[in-house]
Amino acid sequence: MDLIKEMISWLPSLMRGARITISLTLVSVAAGIILGLFLALGKISKNRVLNKICSGYIFFFRGTPLLMQLYFIYYSLPQINPALTINNRFMAAFIAFTLNSGAYSAEIIRSAIQSIDKGQREAAKALGMSYSQTMRLVIIPQSFRRLIPPLGNEYIMVLKDVSLVSIIALTDITKVTKSLSSTTASPWPYVPAMIIYLIITAVFQYVFNKLENKFSVYD
Amino acid sequence: MPMIKTENLSKSFGALDVLKNCNLSVEQGEVVVIIGPSGAGKSTFLRSLNHLETINHGKIWVEGKLLDDRVNSVNQVKLSHEESTAILLEMGMVFQRFNLFPHKTVLENVMLAPIHVRKYPADKAETIAKALIQKVGLSDKVDEYPSRLSGGQQQRVAIARALAMQPKIMLFDEPTSALDPELVGEVLNVMKELAAEGMTMVCVTHEMGFAKEVADRVIFMYNGEILEDATPAEIFTAPKHEKTQTFLKSILNA
Repeated sequence: MDLIKEMISWLPSLMRGARITISLTLVSVAAGIILGLFLALGKISKNRVLNKICSGYIFFFRGTPLLMQLYFIYYSLPQINPALTINNRFMAAFIAFTLNSGAYSAEIIRSAIQSIDKGQREAAKALGMSYSQTMRLVIIPQSFRRLIPPLGNEYIMVLKDVSLVSIIALTDITKVTKSLSSTTASPWPYVPAMIIYLIITAVFQYVFNKLENKFSVYD
Repeated sequence: MPMIKTENLSKSFGALDVLKNCNLSVEQGEVVVIIGPSGAGKSTFLRSLNHLETINHGKIWVEGKLLDDRVNSVNQVKLSHEESTAILLEMGMVFQRFNLFPHKTVLENVMLAPIHVRKYPADKAETIAKALIQKVGLSDKVDEYPSRLSGGQQQRVAIARALAMQPKIMLFDEPTSALDPELVGEVLNVMKELAAEGMTMVCVTHEMGFAKEVADRVIFMYNGEILEDATPAEIFTAPKHEKTQTFLKSILNA
C-alpha cells in the first residue's frame, strides 16, 4: 500500500514531464508533416536541382543518429557561430525533432502519393488540370487515407524518441523518472512512467483509427 | 476543315516502333472507330492526340490549329501552356478503367474541372453537371461515391465528366473493355446518343456491332500502322488487307 501511495506522490512530477513529452511530440510531428509534404513534392518533382536537394536532405536526416542531430543543434551550432545559439531547450528539441521527423514523413508522403493509380493523373490531365491542381485536388486528398497508418506510427516512434531530450536537460517523462529513481533510491518510478507512455500511445492509436475510418468513407 | 488531322505520327519505345507514320483526318460530326489486334498501337495513337503520350515525330492539328510538329520529340510549335491547354480541352477523354476520382461524389467528379479549369461559378457548374448526369441516366446517384456504382454506371459518369468541359471531340479508349458483358449496352447507348447529336468521336473499341451501326469510318491498325481506312460496309464485307481479313475472322468467330 505504501508503494501505491508513493507512486501517487510521484504523479505530479511525472505529469509535468508528460506535458513536455506530449507537447514536443505533437508539435514536432505536425511541423514535420508539413515539412515532409514539401520534401516529398520536391523529391518527386521533375526539377533536378529540387529533386537532389530534397533527396539529400532526407538521406542526411535518416542516415545520422537523432541523438547526434540533437547534440549538434543544441551544443555545436553555438560553437560554430554564437548567432546560432538556441537558449530555449524546448525550441532546440522542437527544431531537431521537426527536421528529423520531416525526413521520415517525406518518405511516407512520397510513397503514398506515388501509390495513387496513374489513371487518376491522366484523368486530371485530360480534364485540363495543371500539375498543382492535380496534386491539390486529386492526388493528395486520396493519399490521406494511406498516410494515416504510417503517420500514426511516426507519432508513436517520436513519442519515445523524445526521451532523448534528457541529454539537453529538458525534463520530459524519462528525465523526471530517472531523477525520481535516483533521489528516492527506488526502482519503482519506472512503473507509473511506463504506464503513462502506454496511455499516451493508446490515445494516439485511438485518434488515428478514428481518422482512418473518417477518410475511408468513399471506399 | 477537319476537327483532327494527324500527319506522319510516329512513336517508339526504345527499339519498338509503336506508331509508324499514322495519318488520319476526322471531320466534324464524324464517328471514327479504330479497331485492330492488341499491341497494334490503337490506344497509343488515341492518347497521343491529347498528349497523354508524347509522339516522337509528326504533326497534329485540332480544329485547324497546329498543336504538335515534332522532330525527335521536340515540338517545333511553341505554344504557351494556356494556348496548348485551350486546344487540348477541345478533346474529352473516356478511359477503359473509368478513372473517376474515388474521393469525390458523382456530382463533384463532374463539377471539379469546370470549376477549377474553366473557372465556372459553382452554381453554373452544378447546373451543367446535373443536366449531364441526367443525360446519362444517373440523376438518382448524384451524391454517391464511385465505389458504390457498377462499372457501367461509373463509365457513364466518366462520360458526363468529360462532356462537362464542353469538348468538341470525344476520345474513347476501349470504354467497354473493363465492363461485365451485361453492362456494355448501357454505355454504348450513351455513346450512340452522343453520335446522333453530332459529336465528333474517335473510339478505340472491340465492339464490332457498335462500329457497324454507328461508325462513319473504321480504321484498322496493325503493328503501329494504319492499314485500312474505310466505311464500315467496306471493312466488314470486303476488307482489302489480308491482316484485316484475318483479324475480323478471328474476332467475329470468337
